[in-house]
Amino acid sequence: MNRKEAIQIISDRIGDEIIVSANGFIGRDLFEINDKENNFYMIGSMGLSSSIGLGIALKKPKKRVYIFDGDGNILMNLGSLATIGYLKPRNFFHFIFDNNAHESTGGQPTVSNSIKIQKIAKVTGYKIFEVRNHTELQKVLTKIKNMSGPTMIHIKIERNSKSSKRVKHDPIHIRDRFMRSIK
Amino acid sequence: MSEDFQRKIFDFFAKNKIENFVGVPDSTLKHFIARGLEQKKILIATREEEAIGIAAGMTLSKSLSLVFMQNAGFANSISTITSLIQLYSIPIIFLIGWRGYLPSDAPEHTKIGKIQPSLLKLIGLRSKIIMEKNWQNNCRWALQQLRHNRSCALIIRRLSNE
Repeated sequence: MNRKEAIQIISDRIGDEIIVSANGFIGRDLFEINDKENNFYMIGSMGLSSSIGLGIALKKPKKRVYIFDGDGNILMNLGSLATIGYLKPRNFFHFIFDNNAHESTGGQPTVSNSIKIQKIAKVTGYKIFEVRNHTELQKVLTKIKNMSGPTMIHIKIERNSKSSKRVKHDPIHIRDRFMRSIK
Repeated sequence: MSEDFQRKIFDFFAKNKIENFVGVPDSTLKHFIARGLEQKKILIATREEEAIGIAAGMTLSKSLSLVFMQNAGFANSISTITSLIQLYSIPIIFLIGWRGYLPSDAPEHTKIGKIQPSLLKLIGLRSKIIMEKNWQNNCRWALQQLRHNRSCALIIRRLSNE
């Protein structure tokens, strides 16, 4: 399964929920597959999608917040796992698309294959799921439907340097429509 | 700045619709933080960039936020401020303790302390130094910046070497 296929499946299943996407190819894929007003495309500030999502989840406890994160991104902000595990937001769902690479910068390796990001999350207090293929992803998406967070869904994906087009919305427009949509 | 004034500054912001106080501790700001902890209104993050990310999410959820940090942490945060806070115009008040203001401060603060005012200017973050005689006016100025969707910084100088 590649990143775009995984993002397609998740988008089809979670419906019209809040999504915060990491910078790089993840946000571009989301933009191409499922552009909507309550997507916050983080195009700069590497590593911070989980933290931005945490801020939203704490202030909008009745809405589910989905984070589309990458291995490179979360490795830059492992501290956020400690804060999230401590605060335990029940509406926080954290997808990690792990291709063991910084795909957006040319496919340089990350250390994710040698460590287990999901186990780090588990000891901070997350519930965790591991996914390696379409079938497992579909099963986990059914399971988390009636579950509370913080939950991490770690998805092993293939490398795929084919990128979607850049997010074409102006950042101020991304902000305005996001703020309008979440009320 | 004395304990009494720092506590007043916290209370002022809490009374004026600042709902979130997120940051990384700094000894120059310790009385401000202590007041917030008493009120259970402080969230301590692992790093300054993380604090800014959380505060940005809260502000996007229409809940106003202040981020506190030492100026060493401000230096850590420059890329986050330019590529998140300024890029999306997410209004946040930064409260920054200024170590290295006195040339006789500890050696690790000297260089970054010296360039602190230039760093603020370079990235175009409006700022004011707050002192006991002007804190109310400058804190009101900061609230006004938020109303115009602008971020800003309030700086508290470290005036002793203890």
